Amino acid sequence: MNKIYLQQTLPNVFLERKDIHSDVWKQEVIFEKGHVYLVEADSGTGKSSLCSYIYGYRTDYKGKIFFDDRDTRELSIADWVETREHSFSILFQELRLFSELSALENIEIKNNLTNFKTHDEIIAMFEQFGIGDKLSQKCGKLSFGQQQRVAFIRSLCQPFDFVFLDEPISHLDENNSLIMGEMLMDEVKRQGAGVICTSIGKHIELDYEKVFTL
Amino acid sequence: MKLVWKLLQQHISPGQLIGFFFANLFGMMIVLLSIQFYRDVVPLFNGKDSFIKEDFIIINKKVSGGVLGSVGNNSFSPADIHDVEHQPFIKDGKAGVFTTNNYDVTGTFGMKGGDFNFSTEMFFESVPNGFVDVDQRQWHFDPRTKTVPIILPKVYINLYNFGFAQSRNMPKISEDLMNMIELGVKINGQGKEDHFNGHIVGFSTRLNTILVPEDFMKWSNQMYGNGEQKDPSKLILKVANPTDSHIVQYLQKKNYETDEDKLEAGKTTYFLRMITGIVLVIGLIISVLSFYILMLSIYLLVQKNTTKLENLLLIGYSPHRVCLPYQYLTLGLNAIVLFGAFGLVCWERNYYMNVVEVLFPKMVAPNLFITFLFGLGIFVCVSLIDCIAIRKKVYSIWIHKS
Repeated sequence: MNKIYLQQTLPNVFLERKDIHSDVWKQEVIFEKGHVYLVEADSGTGKSSLCSYIYGYRTDYKGKIFFDDRDTRELSIADWVETREHSFSILFQELRLFSELSALENIEIKNNLTNFKTHDEIIAMFEQFGIGDKLSQKCGKLSFGQQQRVAFIRSLCQPFDFVFLDEPISHLDENNSLIMGEMLMDEVKRQGAGVICTSIGKHIELDYEKVFTL
Repeated sequence: MKLVWKLLQQHISPGQLIGFFFANLFGMMIVLLSIQFYRDVVPLFNGKDSFIKEDFIIINKKVSGGVLGSVGNNSFSPADIHDVEHQPFIKDGKAGVFTTNNYDVTGTFGMKGGDFNFSTEMFFESVPNGFVDVDQRQWHFDPRTKTVPIILPKVYINLYNFGFAQSRNMPKISEDLMNMIELGVKINGQGKEDHFNGHIVGFSTRLNTILVPEDFMKWSNQMYGNGEQKDPSKLILKVANPTDSHIVQYLQKKNYETDEDKLEAGKTTYFLRMITGIVLVIGLIISVLSFYILMLSIYLLVQKNTTKLENLLLIGYSPHRVCLPYQYLTLGLNAIVLFGAFGLVCWERNYYMNVVEVLFPKMVAPNLFITFLFGLGIFVCVSLIDCIAIRKKVYSIWIHKS
């Protein structure tokens, strides 16, 4: 997949509102592979909605979203599964980790789908983040910041054309944010992928090519 | 897969699954056992008299009135036959007429190679071929061979064994040795006398007559008969259900009678069939209920694990892969139930077959294959429905999500 095209997209909940001044809603927006985007937003402007529309788990919007030339409303379940396995990676704002599984198992359950990373590569990423000692810790026992790092590692464990990061550093300190930025860009360059990052203020330091205000 | 299972086995309630397991085990066992029992035991009641099926009954008019002078009163007129044939309990709308011989018959009985025999005057009767359940190649007369197939009442063999043979120190004979009996038939009529060989096809407990094929009766009545047409004194009827109370009412109204004992085998089979049917249905109901327990249990499990399932779908798992652990779980449980129930049936069957074999040593036991096939059928149906239900449930999570 080379581009994501939002055509006059607008969440249903905003239909009544007349005062929409957004770079994304009700606009023609194109995200291209190989570029880095930032979507800045205030709370309640539909940042997570945007992620969920593009990622295909909500359809309560007007307008259209295209992957290359395909209308996403026409994608079958199998198409979405394929997209999530090979084209899109996402770091959810709410993380969506499995608290019953250990940190390592949370990564493996994702990596097993495509066997994209080796065990050693995964361990190296944990080490890089300074949570190498948390591998066998149940995710439910980790702090939110630690969980955020685990979820981030998980999002790198698959091939992708685009990676979404929904408020990736909301609970991280400066140092860890920098590490995350480095790790992200390493992987993105390796894969030639596009990055779409959202933030409500504090955002991960990357060389954004375009900034949208939601 | 291992990790997915580790995740999704959360909230599995062993209590519910054990409950399902035993309920389904007993349901399945009852179903299979009733099928096997029916297959094992019913032939014992049907098989003994294979010449007349259990849904045939033989009726005659009650002999009444004076001691003498009642000749002809106890035969069925064409109007009587017509009336019987139009009763609702009659199958195929035909009554079989017993035709008798119009000439003199003398029978000579003896053992092959033996130097004794005894003769007696006797009679023949015949019914239409459709009412006699014998291989039609055997039940056929060819004037060139001069051999007449005959079915004798079982009483005769008893008379011989326990009367004649006993008093003369003769060997007793079993039904299997009936070919040992030489039966000579001498027919006198129209000034002719001819000898025939009787070939005993079998012994019947349900026929109190000496039965010969219809074609022999026609031929011999033409050859030796005096041409007199007599109304039949007995009718054989094919009925839908021998225990139908309408039959009894009709017979009473018309002053006809049938030997009650003759209906016993039919009744026994009928009730056996009914009871087996009831037991089978109870087994099926238990199975269906246990199936519901499993479904509820799985639904509850899916419900409790909705968030996990949702997350799995979001990180790229297909609904199909997410279904698999629960589908394997139900398949595994159902398979254990199938084999467990089948094992129990084999064990229980062993117990009652010991008794059956003592009572009916000659019986050839049917095998368990059909029963197993039936169990396999239930297994396949139930598993298929389970898998589809689980699939639908997981897909509904996908749909709700969007």
